[in-house]
Amino acid sequence: MTTTAPPQQRATLPPAPRRRLRLPGFLMALPAWSWLLVFFVAPVGLVIYYSFGYKPGLFATHATDVLSFDRYLEALSPTFASVFLNTLWVGVIGTILCLLIAMPAAYWIATKVPANRRGLMLGLVLVPFWTNFLVRTIGWRVMLAPEGFLSEWMVGLGLGPIEILNTRLAVLIGVVYNYLPLMILPLYVAFDRVEGPLREASKDLGADRVRTFLTVTLPLARPGIIAGVLFVYIPLMGDYITATVLGGAQGTMAGQLVASQFTTAQNWALGSAMAVVLILTTVLSAVAAAAMLWLVTWPLRLANRMRIGEAS
Amino acid sequence: MTDTAAQAALHAASEARAGDVTLTGVTKRYGDQTAVDGLDLHIAQGEFLSLLGPSGCGKTTTLRMIAGFEEPDAGDIRISGSSVVGVPPHRRNVNTVFQQYALFPHLTVAENVAFGLRRTRVPRSEIRDRVVEALDMVRMRSFADRRPAALSGGQQQRIALARALVNRPSVLLLDEPLSALDRQLREEMQVELKLLQARLGTTFVFVTHDQGEALSMSDRIAVMRAGRIEQLADADTVYGSPSSAYVAGFIGRQNFFSGTAAGATVEADGLTLRGTADLVAGTAVRAAIRPEAVRLAPGEDAGENRIVGRLVGISHLGESMQYIVESGRHSIIVLTPRPSAPSVRPGDAVTLSWAASDVAIFPDDGATPAPATAAA
Repeated sequence: MTTTAPPQQRATLPPAPRRRLRLPGFLMALPAWSWLLVFFVAPVGLVIYYSFGYKPGLFATHATDVLSFDRYLEALSPTFASVFLNTLWVGVIGTILCLLIAMPAAYWIATKVPANRRGLMLGLVLVPFWTNFLVRTIGWRVMLAPEGFLSEWMVGLGLGPIEILNTRLAVLIGVVYNYLPLMILPLYVAFDRVEGPLREASKDLGADRVRTFLTVTLPLARPGIIAGVLFVYIPLMGDYITATVLGGAQGTMAGQLVASQFTTAQNWALGSAMAVVLILTTVLSAVAAAAMLWLVTWPLRLANRMRIGEAS
Repeated sequence: MTDTAAQAALHAASEARAGDVTLTGVTKRYGDQTAVDGLDLHIAQGEFLSLLGPSGCGKTTTLRMIAGFEEPDAGDIRISGSSVVGVPPHRRNVNTVFQQYALFPHLTVAENVAFGLRRTRVPRSEIRDRVVEALDMVRMRSFADRRPAALSGGQQQRIALARALVNRPSVLLLDEPLSALDRQLREEMQVELKLLQARLGTTFVFVTHDQGEALSMSDRIAVMRAGRIEQLADADTVYGSPSSAYVAGFIGRQNFFSGTAAGATVEADGLTLRGTADLVAGTAVRAAIRPEAVRLAPGEDAGENRIVGRLVGISHLGESMQYIVESGRHSIIVLTPRPSAPSVRPGDAVTLSWAASDVAIFPDDGATPAPATAAA
């Protein structure tokens, strides 16, 4: 609405303040959008493009003058496929282990620890994060070495030496250790959001601790659980440092294959195809898991559903 | 307090009916704080009992011990005759209406109401009927398929009530359920709650810090102070014959006069009040007169229980008029129903008078009830 000043006053009034420039709201997200475009969309687009190319000669990394699916056939050859399966095994089992370990820990911090000590507990969860990723992982080599102190104790106890270094089990231990905080934090936030009175109301209405957890706490914490699972599963599938340090020949993961194609083998085309297969495997397996969970819990949801409807 | 203890023990011994609640010597401590201190209380089946007191008096702790969320450090709690000490909340036949309602946000209204029934062996077809019945009872059936977040405070309040009552508990516990509602809605809900309780015959234990709420609904009111019951009586007795200055100050408004007793009169800072009680001369006492017991007339006409003062303020309180009169060092509040309000103006000299039977005299218990504050 505009008000016009009477004519006799107009001359004496200061010039109307200039209309303030209003930028469209989406501009606030511009830094984020450009970051995504430059560092995500463009490189991934290039990788997809290269994956259809080939390695033209010994000293060239890639060429795209002839496009084909041949690199994908190479990437899915039995040797490489077994590495992908190995990666999937570590990814799925590792994520499940993280979830199983983090769930009680996060629940305990969010509901049982006095409020003034929760910050300390979360700090302790994060302390390993302040140490270099590589150093921490190499630490596990010391722990798991067959001639290491842990192994010697086991021998002393008559349990034999530990011989898991350079296997996928060592990789599994390493990734669970490395990614656990990424699971605990979102789970903590999720459990913290489920207020105490809601759990009390549940108990008041006849549900014991287990029922209360299953019917009130868990459904309300679901967004946090999904976030935690994705936070762990996705980087875990692409991890190659842990596998390089602890996996040896038996514990190779897809991330290592991709890296070696880009660096040692200098075959960017095949490396790109492997990277695309890895991305697709990660995304499709996550979608498949979600669909399976949805299907499995469907009868349960149907049983708990109650619609009254105004007409009935 | 000893005779209530004996009474409580007697009730516990005699066969209790379903819906009886008996607390005997119940004590709860948090660190070195004693929240509830040797509480004895018998609540009869079908009774509407209010636990009334300021925050920190132990009323909510008492309720939470009956619900099972807290365990007493000493004493016994019996519901329907059997001790519930050590029994977890989900196995007690009591239900609670929480202060912030605590409705499950991931369930619809109907699913919220059905929650308790699904934990029991009630057949599925009956669950649905009972949910509909409970929603009808609180006139919320048309909201059955919505989520609680889509409802107003008053509607959520009704759902919380239906969710508790659908289980047909022998005792319903209400933890300041109306405090989050605005005044008009609160008064409507008071009437509804009372009607519902009368119809269902369920024992209601109602925790509140609002004396108006307690007075309007309760069969009996337990006025609590520092973990103990200061007075336990029906609304009329608590209002008309408070047992202490604390109760007198907490229930309704009072004009308090601190002074020294001399027989049936109290010397209070230049004022002589005559009551009906006979008191030991020289003891420190507090005399209390209800604002509505004071009559205000224009002009000056001093006498016994009759003082002269100057009118300093008039305010309309809807159905009544409130006058503030200054007399010496005292400031006295007078409430007069609007039809019989005298025509006076601020600054006028007025005479205040009251009957000796309206002067309540208490030993000075050191409690500092809020001074008779002006304006409601």
